[in-house]
Amino acid sequence: MRILSGGSANYLLRRLVSSLLVILGVVTITFVVSRLVPSDPASLYAGARARPAQVEQVRQDLNLDAPLLSQYVSYIGDLVRGDFGISFATKRPIAQDLRRFLPATLELAFAATALSMLVGIPAGVAAAARRHRPSDTSLRLFAVLGVSVPVFWSALLLQLFFSSKLDWLPLAGRTDATTSFNEVTGFFLVDAVLSGSWSNVTDVAAHLVLPVAVMAAYPLGLTIRLIRGAMLEVLGADYIEAATVAQVPRSTVLSRLALKNSLLPALTILGLTFAYSVSSAFLVEAVFAWPGLGKYLTDAIVRADFPVITAAAMVIAVVYVAVNLILDLVQSWLDPRVQLS
Amino acid sequence: MKFRLIMAILSILALLASACGDDDDDAVGEPTPLATEAPASDSSGEGGSSPTEAPDDEGETPDDTAPQEVETDQSAGRFVFASAFPFVDLDPSSAFSAEHIVLQNVYESLTRFNPPGSSELLSPSLAVEWESNDDATFWTFKLRDGVTFHDGSPFNAEAVRASLQRTIDLGLGAAYIYLPIESMEVVDDLTISFSLAWPAPLDLVMSSAFAAYIMSPESVGQDSQWFNEGNGAGTGPYAIESVSPNENVILVRNDAYWGGWSAGQFDEVELRIIEDQVLAEQMIRSGDADFTFNLPFDSYASLDGVESLSVVRSLSMTNLFGLLNNVRLSAEVREALVLSFPYQDVVENLYGGEATRAVGPIPQTVWGAADGSSLPQTNLERAAAILSEAGVEDLTLTYSYDVGEVEQEQIGEVWKANLAEIGVDLVLEPLTWDARWEIAQGDPASAQDIFTMFWYPTYVTPTDFLYSLFRSEEFPFFNLGYYSNPEFDGLLDSADATSGTDVDAAIEMFREAQDILVADNAAVFMLDVPSVSVIRSDISGYTPNPAYANVVWFYDLRRTG
Repeated sequence: MRILSGGSANYLLRRLVSSLLVILGVVTITFVVSRLVPSDPASLYAGARARPAQVEQVRQDLNLDAPLLSQYVSYIGDLVRGDFGISFATKRPIAQDLRRFLPATLELAFAATALSMLVGIPAGVAAAARRHRPSDTSLRLFAVLGVSVPVFWSALLLQLFFSSKLDWLPLAGRTDATTSFNEVTGFFLVDAVLSGSWSNVTDVAAHLVLPVAVMAAYPLGLTIRLIRGAMLEVLGADYIEAATVAQVPRSTVLSRLALKNSLLPALTILGLTFAYSVSSAFLVEAVFAWPGLGKYLTDAIVRADFPVITAAAMVIAVVYVAVNLILDLVQSWLDPRVQLS
Repeated sequence: MKFRLIMAILSILALLASACGDDDDDAVGEPTPLATEAPASDSSGEGGSSPTEAPDDEGETPDDTAPQEVETDQSAGRFVFASAFPFVDLDPSSAFSAEHIVLQNVYESLTRFNPPGSSELLSPSLAVEWESNDDATFWTFKLRDGVTFHDGSPFNAEAVRASLQRTIDLGLGAAYIYLPIESMEVVDDLTISFSLAWPAPLDLVMSSAFAAYIMSPESVGQDSQWFNEGNGAGTGPYAIESVSPNENVILVRNDAYWGGWSAGQFDEVELRIIEDQVLAEQMIRSGDADFTFNLPFDSYASLDGVESLSVVRSLSMTNLFGLLNNVRLSAEVREALVLSFPYQDVVENLYGGEATRAVGPIPQTVWGAADGSSLPQTNLERAAAILSEAGVEDLTLTYSYDVGEVEQEQIGEVWKANLAEIGVDLVLEPLTWDARWEIAQGDPASAQDIFTMFWYPTYVTPTDFLYSLFRSEEFPFFNLGYYSNPEFDGLLDSADATSGTDVDAAIEMFREAQDILVADNAAVFMLDVPSVSVIRSDISGYTPNPAYANVVWFYDLRRTG
């Protein structure tokens, strides 16, 4: 309720405007930097061995011989109209590619974040409640492993064991080649459910397990450590002691009193971890041949495909800005002391 | 409740820990699937040899994969090709990278280049016979009768004309191979003629791995985006069923293919883009893929021991060389550089020892290549003597190479060590291709001293190497050693013109032209790049053809056993 009050609406408006400025800034910087590095977009478009006359023709066709400022202005104009342009390497419309690759990455990031919260929060609480006992030590070890083991290594081990050796899970990819269904949302798990076929759902879910497990390792470790730390701090507070003395059941103390107050500091970090996993997904995507945004962006960087670099950077900026905004709103809702102003 | 959760996590940890250490248990536990597999598979050689291999480490992998392989075999006639490279542009007119892996199976060209060692350079494909006038400026191709496109429209001379015209008009990718064409004429339904502005081997041009594809009249009118959405009709044995960018391309067989079909051929092909080398190796080992290439070179030795796989080694048509800056470097310095290059070290230690030393400016797989006899061996004493006779002292040279290219970097390091012994300091300059190219296209007098580069032919002719890399250029394009020799230029031009009518005479001229380059020390000719692929051993019919790098013609394959 509080969120929608007059002052908050005003706040929201200001945040939206400043968010737009941040996104514009990111687009501008990426545009300028990607055009300043030595590379010739016209020759990328024309092909590796295109003759100078061909390249010149392409340069004119694509308006790449105009001054950079006027190219920038027309680029921003197109963006505002929702036209991301086409990739110079693949000649595919970027908007179409983003519709395909962004949900693939978001699906991983959502699932990984959900997994790390569902497992990490109870585990963090458990570790704090059983401080210094063997179970706490094991959980802390697990958390340290999660944040420190490199993904390409954990991915390889999981693939070798669960796929090559046991043959329980597929090695890589989003679906089996024989699986097909209408791609409505681009989130395959959702689409598979919408298709109403149980085999589609199990196929998509099976393909999600390993990449999500690998991607969740870092946020999971982080969650356990954060929640444990925050819980320990809260558990030492006077009001917890008072509640304990008043013989409030231990489980109520932990979940209703301590956890609620421990969640707050962890929330910010978790939100940023989500945004981070979107922008750093390329490692997981590479190892699992997952056709996502990270792969799309790194390919574009390698090829100096500047329209794609700029568009993908913008999308990632939008994700960061949106996550930040949502976090602030949730935080003020959870904690009355946080003012939206 | 919390306790149960902890126990659950701990038991997962325990499971993981025990999983790491029970390889032996699993190997012992294998006989059950093996036993069920043995009757199902009639490749008794494989089933029979596995138990004897059991104590061996390698023996475990075929054991693991065998049951899966039987499953794939029974469920569908599907071939899975794990491609190390993505398919960026599927427009048959403009595609100019690894897409020919797909397109060669979907579209056909007028002629096809034969693998090295064949008696003829070319085989008929959509053209059944062809001829030119005496100076190779007028060509006539007779076309195959009774061919239809995937969309049902008939293949004829007009379709050829329209396809090539589309490619020429777009002017992208490899379209420059048609520069000699002045006009095309549809003589009759199955005959087309070409008038050229200058003599050229048009029969070879038509075998190009890029830009030579013939598409249906309906496809001709479409743009690149349409093709990249998985559309397009060719005449090939397979048609594109679906395209998922960065993920896969699925091909299904074209029942109406003019070559007909027989038992054991594949109904469906999935080309999966697997850029991660470790993943590709796991897929070929586990049976998730039937074919792959571009694995780390040190993994082939262990794959040799896997019975269900065949490692196929061949030489590509790609070579690696260092163009010497002919403007900045004197003849003596160039000679000293050629003599100081560590030929033996490089061939023995790079590419897992699978590369071969270059025989000259052209890879040995390309017709017209030299025999290598005029190339020197490494001789540091001689190199030092040449430099001191010429009074060259305190020389510092720059070596420009592609950042991240391990082989080029290692070559630079070894060469640098050799040069240090004769008092030359080699400075390694790793940059991206775009940056290197931009610098190299500037003023030769202030550009790099050595420019390393890979090259492969668009269509197979010595001219592709010699013209692009060494013929005089007003503005540097790919001749980045800035070599200029009118005698060489004249010889090359006549060799190319002759190659359309008299291949043997042309070969003589091409060899003579290459001798000039070697005598002038125009470049250091380093090595020919190997090509290694892995295919399941129960699939026959695969012959690598370096003219079409990494292409598998799925039509040629049969599942035996």
